[in-house]
Amino acid sequence: MAAETVQGQGQGTRSRGLKLTDILVTIVIAVVFGIIYKVWGPMYDVVKPLGVHAEQTIYGMWFIAGTFAFLVVRKPGVAVLAEVAAASISALLGSEWGISTLYYGVLQGLGAEIIFAIFLYRNASVWVVSLAAIGAAAGSLVLDFGYGYIESLSTWNYTLLIGLRVLGSIVIAGIFAYSLSKALELTGVTKVFRPASKKDYEALNRV
Amino acid sequence: MQLTFPHRETWLHQVNPTLKIVLFSLWFLAVILIHNFNVMLNVAIGSLLLLPWSGHPWKRLLLYATPFLLVFVSTSTGMMFFGKGETDWFRWGLVNITEESFYRGLHLGFRALSMAAVGLLFGLTTRPVRLFYSLMQQGRLAPKYAYSFLAALRLVPIIIDEFQTLRHALKIRGMRKRGWFIGFYQLVHRYAIPLLAQSIRRAHRIAVAMEAKGFAGRAKRTYYYSIGFSYRDIVFVTYTLAVFGVAFLAGTYWPYLDIIDVR
Repeated sequence: MAAETVQGQGQGTRSRGLKLTDILVTIVIAVVFGIIYKVWGPMYDVVKPLGVHAEQTIYGMWFIAGTFAFLVVRKPGVAVLAEVAAASISALLGSEWGISTLYYGVLQGLGAEIIFAIFLYRNASVWVVSLAAIGAAAGSLVLDFGYGYIESLSTWNYTLLIGLRVLGSIVIAGIFAYSLSKALELTGVTKVFRPASKKDYEALNRV
Repeated sequence: MQLTFPHRETWLHQVNPTLKIVLFSLWFLAVILIHNFNVMLNVAIGSLLLLPWSGHPWKRLLLYATPFLLVFVSTSTGMMFFGKGETDWFRWGLVNITEESFYRGLHLGFRALSMAAVGLLFGLTTRPVRLFYSLMQQGRLAPKYAYSFLAALRLVPIIIDEFQTLRHALKIRGMRKRGWFIGFYQLVHRYAIPLLAQSIRRAHRIAVAMEAKGFAGRAKRTYYYSIGFSYRDIVFVTYTLAVFGVAFLAGTYWPYLDIIDVR
């Protein structure tokens, strides 16, 4: 009983899930991207009436919080948390898609999360991140079938929509997120999230 | 930096935030399931009628609502011009407007309008502090998530300040944009990297402080604000039910157009 209370009151360091540090950093990243998500809305709508789905190429920006947060924190659940948090921030800022933003966020986060989970959260190469971006795009398409009737578009239009969205998400949420995280690693802030490697211990033993 | 504007508190501010989220989610689900054009139009009107209770003056409300028009136009025209349909109205190159796609487009526009109105209302009438306290108390959200959210929101003004500082620093050193593509790449590296790096460092420090203060624990805690339910919640539930009830009945018995299913 006593042991359980101590563990219950522990600072979450022993729990398998996310630590408070992970959560806060993920959410701060999500807040930064949430503001970008809100600004991205009008941009998307201005491009959209052109009709050739040019807007789909920039759709991928709405998946970047999930993949980028995972590249920084690299723990299970981070991608979903970041996407949901970024979506709720843009909803709280009065997103023009309203509450639907939240559910798109959940599905996009889950889409990316599944891919990271398949690789057991150990692989964060540019390929896996691009795959996760495609996963997020797939998540958003699931909701689009119900909410946007995209299957009722003419076939060429519908194929173009999916093609450009997938392509755009690979470029933005995949490759761009990866290069951004690489540049961030140079600043050294991500080191606190990496467990000490064998090389670090060897460095200690050297005299 | 101020993120909120002065406004009147209305009964919608007092509605339990968790209940609001749940109801608006059901609203979203219902809107997805409505395929009848007449019912959808009524629901959109019902959603817009809620806006005067946001407690913000008309002019500001109209300013906030301008993107709605953009969403309405962009959502509907995409389907109108390129949707499938039988009865041709207009054909020009790739653009092919049919009767079916036209109404399907309008239907999607009203859908977006309804969700936008409800979403804006949620944003305007829900204070983040009340929302997360309510989610902890009624929604069983773990405190470490809720307090992290609240702490992160507090960092927004600092991030904006830092952005200004960076802008001024770059300006005074005579940084100029070079070309479109290289310019964009440089822009990202100059702004995003320092902003993200600083935010992560700060978040890490705050998290350590919060852990030291016991915010990460799973023990039962007490709350400074206790958020419960009141008669306003019943009013709000009744309003929602009434919107959908009336929209459905009116759409069935007094349809504007003879369209049952837009798919």
